[in-house]
Amino acid sequence: MFLFITRRLFFALLLLLAVSVVTYLLFSALPVDPAALTCGKNCKPDLIAANRVRLGYDKPIVEQYWLFLKGIFAGRDYGMGQAAFSCPAPSLGYSFAQHECVTTLIGKTFPVTAFLSLGAFVLWMVIGVGSGAIAALNKGKWQDRLANAFTAIGVSLPTFYVGLLVLFSVVIWLDLLPFPRYTSPFSDPVQFLNAMILPWLTLAVLSAATYTRLTRNGMLEAMNEDFVRLGVAKGLTRRVILRKYVMRSAMVPIVTIAGLDFAALLGGAIITESVFSLPGMGKLSIRAVVESDLPVLVGTTMVAAVFIVLANVVVDILYGVLDPRVRTH
Amino acid sequence: MKTRRIVGAVSVALVASVVAAACGGSDSGSSDGGTPKKGGTINILSNAEQIAHLDPQRNYTGDDLAFAGSTIQRSLTTYKFAEGDAGSDIVGDLATDTGTASADGKVWKFTLKDGVKFEDGTDITCADVAYGVSRSFATDVITDGPSYAMTYLNVEGEYPGPYKATAAQQAAYDKAVTCDGKTITFNLKSTVADFNYTTTLLTFSPVPKAQDTGEKYDMKPVASGPYKIESYEVGKSLVLVRNDQWDPATDTERKAYADSIVYNFGLDESAMDERMIADAGEDQTAVSYGILPENLQTVFEGDEALAKRAVNYYDPFVTYTNLNVKNLSCLDVRKAIYLGLDRDALRKAGGGPYTGDFADGFIKPALALDYKKPTQLEGLNEDGTPNVDAAKAAMTAAETNCPDVAAHAKDGLKFYYPDTEVWKKALAIWIDSMGKVGIKIKPEAVGDPSQYWPTVMNPETDFDIARGGWAPDWANASTVIPELFTTGGGFNITRNADDPDYKTFETKVEEARNTLDRTEQGVKWQELNQFVVDRLWALPGTFTRAQSMWGSRVGGAFQWGPFGAFCYGNLWVK
Repeated sequence: MFLFITRRLFFALLLLLAVSVVTYLLFSALPVDPAALTCGKNCKPDLIAANRVRLGYDKPIVEQYWLFLKGIFAGRDYGMGQAAFSCPAPSLGYSFAQHECVTTLIGKTFPVTAFLSLGAFVLWMVIGVGSGAIAALNKGKWQDRLANAFTAIGVSLPTFYVGLLVLFSVVIWLDLLPFPRYTSPFSDPVQFLNAMILPWLTLAVLSAATYTRLTRNGMLEAMNEDFVRLGVAKGLTRRVILRKYVMRSAMVPIVTIAGLDFAALLGGAIITESVFSLPGMGKLSIRAVVESDLPVLVGTTMVAAVFIVLANVVVDILYGVLDPRVRTH
Repeated sequence: MKTRRIVGAVSVALVASVVAAACGGSDSGSSDGGTPKKGGTINILSNAEQIAHLDPQRNYTGDDLAFAGSTIQRSLTTYKFAEGDAGSDIVGDLATDTGTASADGKVWKFTLKDGVKFEDGTDITCADVAYGVSRSFATDVITDGPSYAMTYLNVEGEYPGPYKATAAQQAAYDKAVTCDGKTITFNLKSTVADFNYTTTLLTFSPVPKAQDTGEKYDMKPVASGPYKIESYEVGKSLVLVRNDQWDPATDTERKAYADSIVYNFGLDESAMDERMIADAGEDQTAVSYGILPENLQTVFEGDEALAKRAVNYYDPFVTYTNLNVKNLSCLDVRKAIYLGLDRDALRKAGGGPYTGDFADGFIKPALALDYKKPTQLEGLNEDGTPNVDAAKAAMTAAETNCPDVAAHAKDGLKFYYPDTEVWKKALAIWIDSMGKVGIKIKPEAVGDPSQYWPTVMNPETDFDIARGGWAPDWANASTVIPELFTTGGGFNITRNADDPDYKTFETKVEEARNTLDRTEQGVKWQELNQFVVDRLWALPGTFTRAQSMWGSRVGGAFQWGPFGAFCYGNLWVK
């Protein structure tokens, strides 16, 4: 097991390196000139050139990348004289658009995204797996048909539409909640919940649909498996069969998808964060794209990649726990 | 997208701007009546993630200058915090008056008021102002700001700003900007008759050297105005609270009614509009800049009470079309293009009357002293529709007077445009309406919109027609006519240097620039505006408009002429 994890982590590191290289290469291939983008009204060629130097885009891409790598371990210094400042290690660079070190920016925005993802994840697993199980146990009855309708609608509705609809109806038209304004749960838990409840619900309801369908189908399939029939023949109670045999088997594909979905969300729920004005990583990365802010872009991409990689490792471990057949191999 | 975004996206080179409005029409809405009172919190709703720049020397956007300049920062002079034409008048701010110029307009002196202080209670000195101005020279750190100090100040040799300057370089700067007690003297390279308008820019705002953090000063500038920063979180909010070191006796303009002003960032644009329309709870004391095009009818043509909480007014911009006068050296051809162009269809495609009024020249009525409606080209339809017959007649005249240019127009004129959906639609209208006059348009798309201005401003690009858009930097046409039409101007895309009338024009511009009497100077700008409209080096497009809303409990809301934005610092809670 230890060897398995070390090997996975080693490859994860290699993958992260590759991700950062690709982001740098893709960025340098973009037709947009970030130096021209950030220079204001008196944008003359010499100012664009000066801007390029300031932002560090005048150096060859290989050197830029090397400075980036070095910064992670040694930190980076910028400016000179009274205007000098530095981003301490682990530095992912500095955002001249936001006047802040990228690591600090991620440190500020990540908790928002983490709280959003965690809450939504718990909700959608409960709703999705719960309704899927009910549907499977009542196959063909009204509960099943209702769950089917829910999945069809949930899967097909776009997030930005549902988000705005929920926001407009609950906050603006019905005035049931104040307009969400994110606050840390440690400073004001009530306002935190106020700000999070709608985005949690929006994300959860839409994502749950897939899980409802997966759970229902997984359970129905498992119910026809030989080992379940064996359990019945052995005279086990329905409860035990459902919990230990059916659910466990049905959970295998769900864990895979849940792990990846959750990790992807940790990289930033761009649309949900934008609609509900949550200052999370999703908004940070979309802003970086719009402003061609390479350091932030690389930083957020790396963080997102870290979670996807970690999620894969966790999922692989969970496989072993859930499915005894994997363990023996 | 809202107006501010459109401006930003379409004309990257023209993010900034000041000066506009004040046509004094019935549409110059403002929140009605009541006696202003102290207290409460004003909320500003914004889809931006942060203020572009709060560093006074880097601030160069109309809306942001109006915000920072009316709340946390003071400059040497300021526009009156007033509605309509009065808003373009200047008064002393940190300075006791609007400054005194030497007879040749090359030396300007300002004396600081007694009792002006930074938020930490230290006196604002001449050295703080001189240091602030010097920062604008450090273009490697203090980016995006206006460069007028660099252009005007008579600093010998290269001066790289205070961070990198050698002792000798600093001494050269200190010779150009001198301090004598409370009096600061600016020695300029040449006559600048309206330098006291330049000093309304926050470039001339004081910065205490000991607290300058260079690039990072943007996040926490030291306040000199009635408000100071309590907290500033990108993507979330900027909270301003009272600065108790600000003495109202030293300030004729700032009233600082609200106890605090909260800038809310990162809001979804459609949610912002819905909140402003719904006007519930805290949003009753909120203002927002810009209204989405799809909501304009609801706001202005639906509910009367709603229209009273909104303004549809000139912003600082004028749009126009640049003609390459070198290629199109024949006035008859230029007339044919202008007469035959379907300006009405162009405006409809761009969003209709809410986007702006048809321009009669290049100076907007907001520049009250410099504006007089120019006589329009004979045959030009005021409603923006094309006059095809008149245009054809002009082309016929061109065939006799200048057959080469007429042939070039028939053969095809290269129209350089930014490759965006809006401009593709506009080009279709151009091709269609010019076709009816016998002029062919060859569209040349510039793929990366941020490269549009660098492309057409490059002398090697052989265009015939290019777009244009401009907003003056202060309430004087000296930042319009010379910038757009003299060879030394920063944004002259017309290539008019060889036009037979150019020399006369340039002489007249110099005369106007050197006229110290502001009223007399205004008359000269009016004549020069007429001069350009007659020559058609460029074709006037629209005097653009902007729309904004405020909550039912907000008092003192109006579009502040010089900035085309709210006078944020004087908003009050009803």
